[in-house]
Amino acid sequence: MEGRNSKRLKVPLTALRNGERGIVTSIKAGRGGGWGRGWGFEKRLMDMGLTPGTRVQVVKSAPFHGPLEILVRGSRLALGRGMAERIFVEIEKE
Amino acid sequence: MTERKLVIALAGNANVGKSVIFNYLTGLHQHIGNWPGKTVERAEGTLHFKGYTIDIIDLPGIYSLSTYSLEELISRKYIAVERPDVVINVVDASVLERNLFFTLQLMELETPMIIALNQMDIAKKKGIEIDTEKLEKLLGIPVISTVAIKGVGIFKLLEKAIEIIEKGEKAKPVEVKYGEEVEDRIARITKMVEKIQFWYPPRYVAVKLLEGDEEISKEVQGMDPTIISTAEKLAAEIEKLHGHSCSTVITSERYEIAGCIAREAQKLVPPIKAPIEERLHTLTTHKILGYPIMAVSLLLVFYSIFTFGDHTSELLSNFFYGWEPIFASIFGIEIVGKLVWGGIIEGVIAGVTIALPYIVPFYIILYFLEDSGYLSRIAFLMDNAMHKIGLHGKAFIPIMLGYGCNVPACLGCRIMETERERLLAAFVTTLVPCAARTVIILGLVGEFVGIQWALMLYVFDLLVIFALGRLAFRTLPGEPTALIMEMHDYRVPHPKTVLKQTWFRLAEFIKIAFPLIIIGSLAIKLAEVLGLLEPIATALSPVTVVWLGLPAITGITLIFGVLRKELTLIMLATLLGTTNFAQVLTPVQIIVFTLVAMFYIPCIATITALVREFGWKKALFITVSEIVFAISLGGVALRLLTLTT
Repeated sequence: MEGRNSKRLKVPLTALRNGERGIVTSIKAGRGGGWGRGWGFEKRLMDMGLTPGTRVQVVKSAPFHGPLEILVRGSRLALGRGMAERIFVEIEKE
Repeated sequence: MTERKLVIALAGNANVGKSVIFNYLTGLHQHIGNWPGKTVERAEGTLHFKGYTIDIIDLPGIYSLSTYSLEELISRKYIAVERPDVVINVVDASVLERNLFFTLQLMELETPMIIALNQMDIAKKKGIEIDTEKLEKLLGIPVISTVAIKGVGIFKLLEKAIEIIEKGEKAKPVEVKYGEEVEDRIARITKMVEKIQFWYPPRYVAVKLLEGDEEISKEVQGMDPTIISTAEKLAAEIEKLHGHSCSTVITSERYEIAGCIAREAQKLVPPIKAPIEERLHTLTTHKILGYPIMAVSLLLVFYSIFTFGDHTSELLSNFFYGWEPIFASIFGIEIVGKLVWGGIIEGVIAGVTIALPYIVPFYIILYFLEDSGYLSRIAFLMDNAMHKIGLHGKAFIPIMLGYGCNVPACLGCRIMETERERLLAAFVTTLVPCAARTVIILGLVGEFVGIQWALMLYVFDLLVIFALGRLAFRTLPGEPTALIMEMHDYRVPHPKTVLKQTWFRLAEFIKIAFPLIIIGSLAIKLAEVLGLLEPIATALSPVTVVWLGLPAITGITLIFGVLRKELTLIMLATLLGTTNFAQVLTPVQIIVFTLVAMFYIPCIATITALVREFGWKKALFITVSEIVFAISLGGVALRLLTLTT
């Protein structure tokens, strides 16, 4: 789990291939939009378990740039692509 | 001995079997309504146990107690302000960590509680074994393991609840302890908060202020603004120390605690075999196979509902109209008889012949699919398509409902997270051809012009949904939210819960739709008796005759159609004096008429549903714009079709 020797790269969750795992480093909330939903968006993701330091696995993504299916903290989530693009992870090498 | 009254609230994540437990506890003594002034459902029931009358409140299924959604806010306030005697926290044993995250928040609210560790059977299948005694010790809360769909553990749950209440001693849950830097600041704010009067416990307020909770900040601001400025300063300090926002730090730490407890209480053993549920999931969300499977399942669902509905609807109609001569012999065929039969009784018949044959089976199948987990897979597959009209995958569910009936579809838009999305989704569902419109499309165009034209109208309808949906999405202020949805493991639905949910939806439909259908029928019948229909038809003729190229009497049928769409067809037959429409209408007229009937107005029951959900202004706006749209569309279609033929 501690891949300190391997190169650590921060990429959006969408860059992970099917079956790959990563550790969440940060969530880039979209500010603005007038509705103050930046806070809600970030909070929502974290409430579902995507806090920094959490390990996630991308199972697959729906076709035509559809949502991602991920495993996090023992549960299976569907995550819209726009949202997944704002979650940054360090890829975990096997 | 007088019965003592108790209140027990059920709280927990979505899809953990909360409603199954609720049904076991309350049986038929249930009441489903709304939270005062809110469009969030409130399920309540009573039971009698050991000399107590117990009120059970089923709180909405939520993942957190922040203010992300109305459901979360309502639940939090209910627990803090109404103070139920005990909260039963229903926990999914197969996803322990995420569920405990919610449990910890309930504990922070300092409410007396018990945990119902549910779905132990599913957990076991996944290779998860949980030591309930250990969990009890770690949390300081009684834990009862249950398998709700088999009724296992429910009795023990109640006994435990009573025991806790009778003992009367304050529950001693373990305090949720954060890191040192955070704890230090919580303590400082708690001291300040202790001086003000607030319905939440002081420590809870302190934690929430550090998290930047909107509701609590606003309330405290009014009482003592210095607390807010201190909290903001301290939160900034934490942010500096950790490099993440304070709300991130606290949520992370809370999840860490949940994770630690889960890891200590559960033992993971590799499951015996790759469960069939897993393979079913892979298949139904497959990037290629998933779509044909979905298409076939949905077609099958609709085909069986329409076949069943058509048949039963006719049987019911024949049965009811069989009473007409008997009725006429009592009330006569004069004005009174006409009004009572044609106004009131026919209104009731109309409602019954739609509700029973179409809506009931529709709901049964829908809840069956939802409970099993398939609906969330469909939302996953359709997310991308829904984004094109500014919605996410979940919106596909009310749209699908719309093909049965627009009324439940509008109410079903509550699953969307924001008001904006609810409205958008509801607007789109009113454009979906419901069962009644399908009757018109197939009965008129399919029968007299050709089935390929009928199919083309369906395709055209999809295009309209897409175009108008996109237009509405562009014009409504606000940004779209993305999909975050749990896909719980496939499971066998609990039939009793499915039936009960269907029953409550049916009751809701009757309450919303019936009064207006009856009042509307009566009004139109009255107009007919008073001989007002002819003048109305003449008044409408600039639109119907000149612009749409239809016979003047179609104006009357379109008015009737507001009551329920298929009346346009029935009235057309009555007024034209034939069911062989090819004799009196040209193919172009048939298509134009059907097009207008499809879009020109949501039926009266749907309008009522819109008013209930969004207020009369928005409902009126949708109604008027659809009338304008349909009439313009019909006229354009007429000119285009005459050009080409």
